[in-house]
Amino acid sequence: MSADEVVASLRDGMTVGIGGWGSRRKPMALVRAILRSSVTDLTVVSYGGPDVGLLCAAGRVRRAVFGFVSLDSIPLDPHFRAARQRGAVEATEYDEGMLLAGLRAAAARLPFLPTRAGLGSDVLRLNPALRTVASPYADGEELVAMPAIELDVALVHLNRADRHGNAQYLGPDPYLDDVLCAAARRSYVSCERIVPTDELLRGGPPQSLLVSRMHVAGVVEAPRGAHFTSCVPDYGRDEPFQRRYAASGADPVAWQAFLDEFLAGDERSYLAAVDAFHGAAA
Amino acid sequence: MADIVSMAEAVAELVRDGDTVALEGFTHLIPMAAGREIIRQGRRDLTLVRMTPDLVYDQLIGAGCASKLVFSWGGNPGVGSLHRFRDAVEHGWPAPLALEEHSHAGMANRYVAGAAGLPFAVLRGYAGTDLATVTSTIKQITCPFTGEHLAAVPALNPDVTVIHAQRADRAGNVQLWGLVGVQKEAVLAARRTLVTVEEIVDELTPMPDAMVLPSWVVTAVAEVPGGAHPSYAQGYSERDNEFYAAWDAIARHRDSFQRWVREVVFA
Repeated sequence: MSADEVVASLRDGMTVGIGGWGSRRKPMALVRAILRSSVTDLTVVSYGGPDVGLLCAAGRVRRAVFGFVSLDSIPLDPHFRAARQRGAVEATEYDEGMLLAGLRAAAARLPFLPTRAGLGSDVLRLNPALRTVASPYADGEELVAMPAIELDVALVHLNRADRHGNAQYLGPDPYLDDVLCAAARRSYVSCERIVPTDELLRGGPPQSLLVSRMHVAGVVEAPRGAHFTSCVPDYGRDEPFQRRYAASGADPVAWQAFLDEFLAGDERSYLAAVDAFHGAAA
Repeated sequence: MADIVSMAEAVAELVRDGDTVALEGFTHLIPMAAGREIIRQGRRDLTLVRMTPDLVYDQLIGAGCASKLVFSWGGNPGVGSLHRFRDAVEHGWPAPLALEEHSHAGMANRYVAGAAGLPFAVLRGYAGTDLATVTSTIKQITCPFTGEHLAAVPALNPDVTVIHAQRADRAGNVQLWGLVGVQKEAVLAARRTLVTVEEIVDELTPMPDAMVLPSWVVTAVAEVPGGAHPSYAQGYSERDNEFYAAWDAIARHRDSFQRWVREVVFA
């Protein structure tokens, strides 16, 4: 399918899980397709990076559910920070381990899972909806009851996929894309290249086949689809462009200029504008 | 760091009377040789823990090593009953055997909780069965958000876990592949760990779908080629289905079993 077809299946108010980690292997082509659409009022669940930042800057996020929102080489995403400071997004902040427990609970179709993550932190004080649960055994230990984080849709970007939705990562880290896809009612995979099924194993070992077709509703071939986040080994993070993106968080004028220069057209014009940006810098 | 030792030394050091012992491996990579070594060393009063107790525990039970079995599904796969297991339950021979029966999902969750350092695990299981009425460790827990009743099972933390794997390096890093069960979780949950391996090599080369247990979670490694027989080690041996079939006659009667112990285990 195309990225626009994926986004056409989204509805206002959905809970959308976004794969990758920080500014790494984010399904940015799908995020850009959301920006081209009218979809809004989203609850976004993410180990966040510029996916969350861009959607917040564009006013598409009602609530962000996150362990962090970071650009890695730039600690905080300035668009997300600005949205928080304006009070423009509701925030559900978890410890990273709590987020994982919540996604695993949803993936296992359990209403909650017990975890130690979050104990002794202010996360429980600041989120009165959270509960603890006592061990029913002699130890009686009190643990965090992490509620399932059920996703309407998961969006992930991997290096390779076949047309059935078996998707492969070739970099050093799977992140939590497989858990997100299992936790979602529907999952969409974008990838650098769609290849025949038997070619997948020529590129990497069986354990690199991270996402199974049984979890995948659609596949999008999106070369450079993680840009400007990293998609190792196909490409690293585009640091000059990330700095340009971060600078556009300074004020509404800078953001409008960024929109006009890069996001006014379709994915092809985005990539052409990125190339022009680098050409001008060279 | 794991010590590289002989299997006899490792069992003498790591498996003690009264211990809770898990010999894991699901159809594949069952640590059969280590089970026979425990018989030779005359361990008593063990609590044996395992998903699918098959021949390995029939042998330990028949040899009088066990006083309790914590398990899910017991049998000789594809053949029939475990006769030594039955004799112990039905007649207390050679010693009475207490039972704690779970489902596979329950046992797997118990190891996962033990490996994670959590006191218990939550699952959708046991519903519609009588297991909870006979197994007191199966509890109910209420979801604090939905009010739904779910099953809880306590963490399993064996005193010692024994597994068989394909390879280890000289530092005691262990590599296994193929059909793996809960070996990783059973090792991480245990206080002490013994791994028997097909071979010790200079370097663990990458293998498709292989799992590496780092030496710091392994107490001892012993080189025991064929140590899974009549189970198998992918890449090294095939499953000896004829032995599984032959076991039925060996184990059916006390005297034929005792002859097998004398002639094979103590050979």
